[in-house]
Amino acid sequence: MKKKKWKLIRQIWDLIRGSTFIKLGVSIIIIFGIMAVFSPIWVNRNPEIYDPIIGVDPDVHGSEGPSLKHPLGTDYIGKDLFSQLLRGSQIAFILGIMVSVLSTTIGTIVGLVAGYYGRIVDIILMRLADIILTLPRLPLLIVISGIFGTQSNWIILLILSFTFWPTISRVIRSQTLSLRERPFIESAKVSGVGNRRIILRHLAPNVLPITFYYLTVTVTGAILVEAGLSFLGFGDPSNMSWGMMLKWCFTTGYVFKAPYWMIPPGLCISALAFSFYLIGVGLEEIVNPRLKKR
Amino acid sequence: MDTILEIEELEMSYQTIKGFVSAVDNVSFKIMKGESMGLVGESGCGKTSLGMCIMKLLPENARIMNGKILFDGEDIVPKTEEEMRKIRWKGVSMIFQAAMNALNPVYRVGDQIIEAIQTHDNISKEEAREKVEKLYELVGLSPERMKNYPHEYSGGMRQRAIIAMALACDPKFIIADEPTTALDVIVQDQIIDEIVNLQKKLNMTMMYISHDISVIAETCNKIGVMYAGNIVEYTYTSTLFDNPLHPYTKALMSSFPSIEGPKKELKPVPGEPPNLLNPPEGCRFYPRCSYAEEICKKENPEFVEIEKDHFLACHKVI
Amino acid sequence: MSMERYILSRVIQIIIIFFIVMSIIFLLFRVIPSDPTSFLLTPSMTAEAKEAIREQFGLNEPIITQYYLYFKNFFHGNFGNSFYGGRSVMNIIKERMLNSIFLVTTAVILSYIIGITVGKAIAWKRGSKTEKFFVGLGLWFYTMFTPWLGILFLWIFAFKLHLFPLGGMITSEVWIANPSLIEKICDLIHHLILPLITYVVLWFGGYMLLMRNSMLETLREDYIITARAKGLKEKDIRDKHAARNALLPIVTAFAISISFSITGAVLIETVFSWPGIGRTIVEATLRQDYPLVQGAFAIITIVVLIANFIADIAYAYLDPRISY
Repeated sequence: MKKKKWKLIRQIWDLIRGSTFIKLGVSIIIIFGIMAVFSPIWVNRNPEIYDPIIGVDPDVHGSEGPSLKHPLGTDYIGKDLFSQLLRGSQIAFILGIMVSVLSTTIGTIVGLVAGYYGRIVDIILMRLADIILTLPRLPLLIVISGIFGTQSNWIILLILSFTFWPTISRVIRSQTLSLRERPFIESAKVSGVGNRRIILRHLAPNVLPITFYYLTVTVTGAILVEAGLSFLGFGDPSNMSWGMMLKWCFTTGYVFKAPYWMIPPGLCISALAFSFYLIGVGLEEIVNPRLKKR
Repeated sequence: MDTILEIEELEMSYQTIKGFVSAVDNVSFKIMKGESMGLVGESGCGKTSLGMCIMKLLPENARIMNGKILFDGEDIVPKTEEEMRKIRWKGVSMIFQAAMNALNPVYRVGDQIIEAIQTHDNISKEEAREKVEKLYELVGLSPERMKNYPHEYSGGMRQRAIIAMALACDPKFIIADEPTTALDVIVQDQIIDEIVNLQKKLNMTMMYISHDISVIAETCNKIGVMYAGNIVEYTYTSTLFDNPLHPYTKALMSSFPSIEGPKKELKPVPGEPPNLLNPPEGCRFYPRCSYAEEICKKENPEFVEIEKDHFLACHKVI
Repeated sequence: MSMERYILSRVIQIIIIFFIVMSIIFLLFRVIPSDPTSFLLTPSMTAEAKEAIREQFGLNEPIITQYYLYFKNFFHGNFGNSFYGGRSVMNIIKERMLNSIFLVTTAVILSYIIGITVGKAIAWKRGSKTEKFFVGLGLWFYTMFTPWLGILFLWIFAFKLHLFPLGGMITSEVWIANPSLIEKICDLIHHLILPLITYVVLWFGGYMLLMRNSMLETLREDYIITARAKGLKEKDIRDKHAARNALLPIVTAFAISISFSITGAVLIETVFSWPGIGRTIVEATLRQDYPLVQGAFAIITIVVLIANFIADIAYAYLDPRISY
């Protein structure tokens, strides 16, 4: 039994290794991972100059281009753009992955419960999902953060997750509905296995591939939406995300004069979002081989 | 009598990750005008692949490695897709399984048949419609039904419509691939009767593919028995039933209830068909054959005419 | 169930969702802010003006009465006045919404057509280099950060090459001079091109990938073999049999993409200073101009609901199998 499981893991590993999409995606993520880890090392050399939020280089006046001291140049008051970029990768990772884990977990549980129990539970949960899906996401987030007044990354985390779970739960639900009719579920029910155990032991493992797929593509969505919010001025002001870097560049009038400031944050957002999505597409091709040529 | 279809030493393989699987191997036979040939064998023996070879409707990973398919005297193996397009339906048409999604769900059934006619015959839509009306009456459907969508038909009606569609361009040769498999028994009988009637009425030349030898006995005057990509026996239905020679044919016949004659106990064919990725050397049936001898393990028997119109591939009988 | 009954049941569902959403908005603006009257009153108003608004929206009444007045005012198209400039919210929204719809519908239609055409073609040529190239390209643009691409385009085509204006919807100097209609239209198109291209570049990829996947699924269906067996022309098999069926899931995706395109609209309108509803909601929120925020959000929601409804009906027409 254990040997069989091991063989399955080997097989999955081989499939993953064979996917160009996944390999490319993981490579990009590793680069950003190194950036995130490198962030404190870069800053701690001299926090007064290099801290992305409060550090200012007193020798610099206005935004200056790349130099040895500031590899990406400085912003309009002399803050180091490279340290901001490094800090941004930390925020993108933490926020993206946390939103994804939170909303995928909620989405999977809701989908399983709605699909398995059916009837009134299903109707209530799915109507709720419908309503949230109908609300236009970004305007909703803007309005909510506007009403809350001061923003913090925690509130952004919660409201992002709130808008992401319904998509996942709908897919998981429809999968559960078809699984529920399969003989192995029927036989588990007949032999008196409890509902909770059926969901955890029999249904959940079967929807796992879809969950994994959404786990990666939701990171993409979360990174892009968070960047959008920050770009519009609804980010957490106590920190410096990539979206906020681009916002400062755009609103301080340097946008066309300082390409060294404008290009890196947008490129990072796009590349990190792209890499997580690539992994999702790679997983999708493994789970659903029809999409691939033999 | 004219030969409609002559197949010579045909070999077709699927390319898979693990290597080539030869689904049809060293197959040769002839079908004359007006004849109906039944092709029988277990699932996975290559009978559907053989049917698809004749239409050259092969999946991307399939290749005809060797042999000739002479249709109306012309070899179609080297023909291009565009040349084949003109032969399909006009020359060879096919009765698909109704259980399959053979009809496009988003178009009216009548229109799908009209489409086939208009692709090949240069006639107006009205004329094509009239022709479909006649076909509907011929197969026992009300022409009213032409304007319905496939999901509004019952299984039996859908099968009749598919038969009407196969007849639409007056093809010279029709391949019926398990046309009654997923239908319930009563409807199955009706469809078989319909096919037998049409065959007499129109003097159709056809090949009937089925795993059920009793269905084939009802519909065909000749039977080819297929095993693991080879045709092992091919002769007239009556000859085959009176005097089956190949051990596999014998086994197959005892695994189905006979329609005439005394009742006997049904015995499934023991063992499993071979893995075609690594077919056994020698005769492919020898692992399951109770008559197998030393030579059967080494040499694949040739397919020869042992008496007039009775072809066989077996070391034992010769 | 008949088509009429299906439409009716969808209308009822949408009306219910509409009331729920409007109630959520009502609660959001009254429960969360520290001062529940702040969404309509601003400190700079005179005492009489404040009292007039209190009267109109019943802010002195119990919450149930307020709820009733909220809907009553809504159905009379009365969202109050903007804190800035005092214009009627309804008038501002009408004007901005029109500008947005003009830009977004043009963009959606263009990216839909391009995405579906390319997706269909590359699915037909699956496994080829062309397919791989377009899939990669589509994925890259699909996950690109919207404002960044907009800024890049502005930088290259407007700032460096001077081909297009740096933003806005019209050049006011041109319009003040009272030009001919053709000049006005040309000026508008001149402003429209850059945001439009940004939209289309960002969105065609999504539709293209969806169409490709849907086509690949459809191409495995039995009726495609039937179509080939019937000797139909390649083009007919691809367009009439495969693509026609592959379109069905794309239509469903349209409803979802409406919500998606509004997100895009908010960002693109901000970058290109396009006076649309998306930019309006951002600016109003930043200024805490609550009547305008509330009105704009309600209108956007209604548009999304209507778009969902249209997509449902279109699907029912396209797929004869649907059990309404």
